[in-house]
Amino acid sequence: MQPLRLGLVGGIVAATGLGIAAPAVAVESSAARNSSVYVVHGIPGQPVDVYVNGEKTLTDFAPAKVAGPLDLPAGSYDIVLTKPGEDPESAPLLEVDDAEVPGGANLSLVAHLNADGEPTLTPFVNDVSKVAAGQARLIVRHTAAAPAVDVRAGGEPVFRDLTNPNEAKADVPAGTLNVDVVLAGTDDVVLGPTDLTLAEGTVTIVYAIGSAEDDTLAITSQVIRGLDSAPDGVPAGTGGLADPGLPTWWYGLLAGSVLVLLAGIALGVSRRTMSRL
Amino acid sequence: MRPVNDVGVPTAARRRRYGWYPGVIALGLALLAITVLTGWRMTRGVEEFGMPPTSSGVAPSPSEPVPDPTFRIGPGASTETGGPPLVPVQPGGPPAVSTVAPVRLSIPTVRLNAPVKPVGIDPDTRELAVPEARSTVGWYRYGPGMDADSGSLVIAGHVDSLTQGPGPFFRLAEVGAGARISVRATDGSVRGFRVVSREVFRKSKAPYDRLFARDGPFRLTLVTCGGGFDRKTGSYRDNVVVTAVPVG
Repeated sequence: MQPLRLGLVGGIVAATGLGIAAPAVAVESSAARNSSVYVVHGIPGQPVDVYVNGEKTLTDFAPAKVAGPLDLPAGSYDIVLTKPGEDPESAPLLEVDDAEVPGGANLSLVAHLNADGEPTLTPFVNDVSKVAAGQARLIVRHTAAAPAVDVRAGGEPVFRDLTNPNEAKADVPAGTLNVDVVLAGTDDVVLGPTDLTLAEGTVTIVYAIGSAEDDTLAITSQVIRGLDSAPDGVPAGTGGLADPGLPTWWYGLLAGSVLVLLAGIALGVSRRTMSRL
Repeated sequence: MRPVNDVGVPTAARRRRYGWYPGVIALGLALLAITVLTGWRMTRGVEEFGMPPTSSGVAPSPSEPVPDPTFRIGPGASTETGGPPLVPVQPGGPPAVSTVAPVRLSIPTVRLNAPVKPVGIDPDTRELAVPEARSTVGWYRYGPGMDADSGSLVIAGHVDSLTQGPGPFFRLAEVGAGARISVRATDGSVRGFRVVSREVFRKSKAPYDRLFARDGPFRLTLVTCGGGFDRKTGSYRDNVVVTAVPVG
């Protein structure tokens, strides 16, 4: 029953990265566009240096933090994590060769423990498609050395049987959820409960990190903005008083004036007819 | 009401000669003219003017390099500047997204002074939940607030209601170019605005993405209903949109 350490990491950036607005950019194929890549540190107790294609990219990167976005062209990348100051060639902590980064994507590379407690690096594609007005997206990723879990909101399971290294997601009304994490199919709380505020038009990605065995389970999260869309309409009147159309009395008036006119003509015609007799 | 007199001919004599019919015809013509004029005035509808500021005017041109605070990996991206390259690392703590809400809207030219309350989305229709109360207008709380420096702060109000008669925005369509608007915020601050455009859209074609944009220059967007009214559905055909830009 570890108290929840909620390291809410404000990864606040525009979701679209480079692909903003300009039509010339929009028509390019996705392969030609760069990807936004985040690095998430989900291994407790071990700050690291991160090397990408041999370049030191992050120094003394602390657990539970999120770095990024890196603006990377499509291609394959060699990623090495070391203990701070150590040599990436001789003393890698974790090494991934030829990690493929597609074009125009939004990715989170998560350094974490697998289900057996071994350090690993898992790339997740972040769903940054638009959410409906008033909604927020919640993505939960199981990246902890722990068995299958259920994620509950307000005591009700919302994501069931989530296992390492998988994710579950849902679009929900923006607002605050009281969430906790239990061992799948049980009421044994392993994380939380805690209040999670989901801002409208954002995706909040929550990572369960650490190790159940070592009692280092924790949560970290990142938020990506810019998924908002407009309401479907603005209904702002039910009375009809502002209708510029003509009311019934106007048609009455029209009919009345025509009748008077016709009566006058009829009078005239009958008088002439009479006078000729 | 009387026929036009011929000079020198007494009215009584004319009436004996022609009877009542010229008078009745003249009355009919006059009534018809009044009716048509009234109808024309009533159906003129809401006129548009001006151009609202939009994000397109400030988008970075594609030829210009976009300033990029993040580190690029690749040739030439090495540690020329000395020290490790810069990658933004987010510390713990929830993102700061506090928004200052508007609480009162005032448009002196149409004698409007209405309380503003934050509103969201009607979950059934996915439309803006415009306040039902007779005198209250609604601020779209998910969009920019009073502390914003970009995007469209949207306040919507009913033009009228079936049960309560004219609404707070009954005269919004009369607000003209250059009219002053002031909005007070929860923190007591007041921002002044100047009207730059009035637009009318069919609801089926209204550019809601633009009206509710969270980018582009900061502006105030007031929205209500107008156009033809459909009694079957109890709704109007159009949205009337008045846009104002900050002054001072």
